[in-house]
Amino acid sequence: MSTIRPRSLPAYLLALPAGLWMFGAVVMPALLILWVSLWGGTAFGPGNPITFANYERFFANASYRGLIANTFLHTLMLMAITGVMGYGIAYFLVMKVTSRAWRTALFLAFIIPFWTSALIRAIAWVPFLGVNGVINQALMGLGLTERPIEIFLYSRTGISMAQVSLYTLMASGPVVYMLAQIPPSLREAAMTLKAPPGVVFRRVIFPLTLPGVVIGQVLVFLSVMADFATVQWIGGNKIALLPNLILNFYEGAQLRAAAVVSVVLMACMLVGTFIAMRVVDIRKLGT
Amino acid sequence: MKVVHDLEIVALRKRYGAFTAVDDVSLRVGKGQFVCLLGPSGCGKTTTLRCVAGLEEPDEGDILIGGKNVTNDPPWERDIAMMFQDFALFPHMTVEKQVGFGLEMRKWPALKRDKRVAEVLKAFEIDRFANRKPGSLSGGQRQRVALARAMITEPRLLLLDEPIGALDYSLRETVMIELKTLQRRTGISFIWVTHDQNEAFSLGDLVVVMNHAKIEQQGSPEEILQRPRTPFVAGFVQGNNVFHGKVEDVRGEEAAIGTAAGRFVVPLRGVAAQPGQAASFSVRAERLRPAPPGDWPNRLATSCRTVEYFGSVRRYILERPDGEVMKLDQFGAEPAFLAADGAAEIGWPTEAGVLHG
Repeated sequence: MSTIRPRSLPAYLLALPAGLWMFGAVVMPALLILWVSLWGGTAFGPGNPITFANYERFFANASYRGLIANTFLHTLMLMAITGVMGYGIAYFLVMKVTSRAWRTALFLAFIIPFWTSALIRAIAWVPFLGVNGVINQALMGLGLTERPIEIFLYSRTGISMAQVSLYTLMASGPVVYMLAQIPPSLREAAMTLKAPPGVVFRRVIFPLTLPGVVIGQVLVFLSVMADFATVQWIGGNKIALLPNLILNFYEGAQLRAAAVVSVVLMACMLVGTFIAMRVVDIRKLGT
Repeated sequence: MKVVHDLEIVALRKRYGAFTAVDDVSLRVGKGQFVCLLGPSGCGKTTTLRCVAGLEEPDEGDILIGGKNVTNDPPWERDIAMMFQDFALFPHMTVEKQVGFGLEMRKWPALKRDKRVAEVLKAFEIDRFANRKPGSLSGGQRQRVALARAMITEPRLLLLDEPIGALDYSLRETVMIELKTLQRRTGISFIWVTHDQNEAFSLGDLVVVMNHAKIEQQGSPEEILQRPRTPFVAGFVQGNNVFHGKVEDVRGEEAAIGTAAGRFVVPLRGVAAQPGQAASFSVRAERLRPAPPGDWPNRLATSCRTVEYFGSVRRYILERPDGEVMKLDQFGAEPAFLAADGAAEIGWPTEAGVLHG
């Protein structure tokens, strides 16, 4: 037990360095972006009148609205795939692998690729997915196809494949943690109460891991919504989602438009996180 | 008419790698019996219970519940319910939902189920907590919920794995009496696993003492307390003084056993004994007496180390000449007949000795 009482001066002092950092590195820039997104007029400077005209112009454009919908759809699909795969992997690791050595080995195999940066891992997919890439070579070698398939690189398929590999761990990790907390006697009790395994999973195991599932989904949601690098590298310049639009506007020196898209993206993420919090009280975890 | 046993275990065996957890265990439980599996931890009593529940697969042997061979049936197809030591309550379900779970699994219609759940909650005096979750209940309340959840399905067998081990000591006696009454009233057979002999002897119609994966002895509490058949049982059960030695002589219905503490005469009571053979016997602490009459052949000189007073019993801890410790119990209401730190000659009548084997 900590000797520092909550809401006492030392408690606030402990929070001060991180608080200052977060304020300077996150809150201030976010407010700045919000401010810039509201600048009207033609000149670029703090003297501009405040207006919602930038937002009106953005939302008046059907292709931008479509891009928001697209980004959400893409993210939802990724959440579904990584959710199912992540749960499967977590269930297998915790419930099916009984040997301690095997569990450690598999867990390491699962986690070691994540010691490299996300950008490197995204780029690493390029030689796999290309027209003469590893996947096509393998398919042709096995005689499954005669000519290389071009849908892998510079396509939504390729982006999704890369992102699934990047983000499944995020969906899986919290579930591993929650599953490991469940005492085996709960499953046994349910079975002696006449619940066959499918029902045990549906009525006991899954509800108890739900907080882990939701946290994993929030992590995947936030990461995919913000992931411009994978889309850029695997999608080439053919595919763009909301975060890529920010980059486009930025490179075109349209800072106000970039700020608008940033704020829209932030708002989308806030809404998603808020919905997740309504499903599960994350603060209750670990109690 | 063929007698149908609630439970019949035939030559059960269970191994984990090189370790044998249950070795050739056979047991018959009649209709509505209260059976206690008693033994030190790791003796195989819990594994036996889990095999009956179907939570462990036996390597050999058969398990029959109500005359039906269920050895290969999964737990959810057996006519049993189980209470776990940690109660294994579902943390995300309210008490009401929890207790109704078994009926829900049996596809009872919702209306009928709600009515039955309400009755059972009332009977177990937990209706006040119907909408609470287990996390906010005390140990005793959780125990009642776990019991209600198991009993509501009226199984043929209720399996209990150290069911009151997690309760406060002061609560245990009350709960024991309640459970015994409940068992009598419902006629459901209870298989109760415990390492606590007070529980086993006060509750069980049949007590099964296990050690090292095997059954050492099974019988009524009185049989096991008065006639332990092996040195392990005699030593495990409180209040026995155990002697090891060799049969020196067999004369009529009595054998003379030579031990490190002297030579003692023990009645055979049907136990086969050959001179020269290793043997052990025990004498209960309350059968020992100081200053034995001249015609008692069993006597030895000891010194009294300490005296413990329990109210109903005054227990003398005695030291034998060879350094071993013995216990002598005196009825607590009588004045003490030995003083601590004094020498005492003690003895016992021949019929108090119990030869093992």
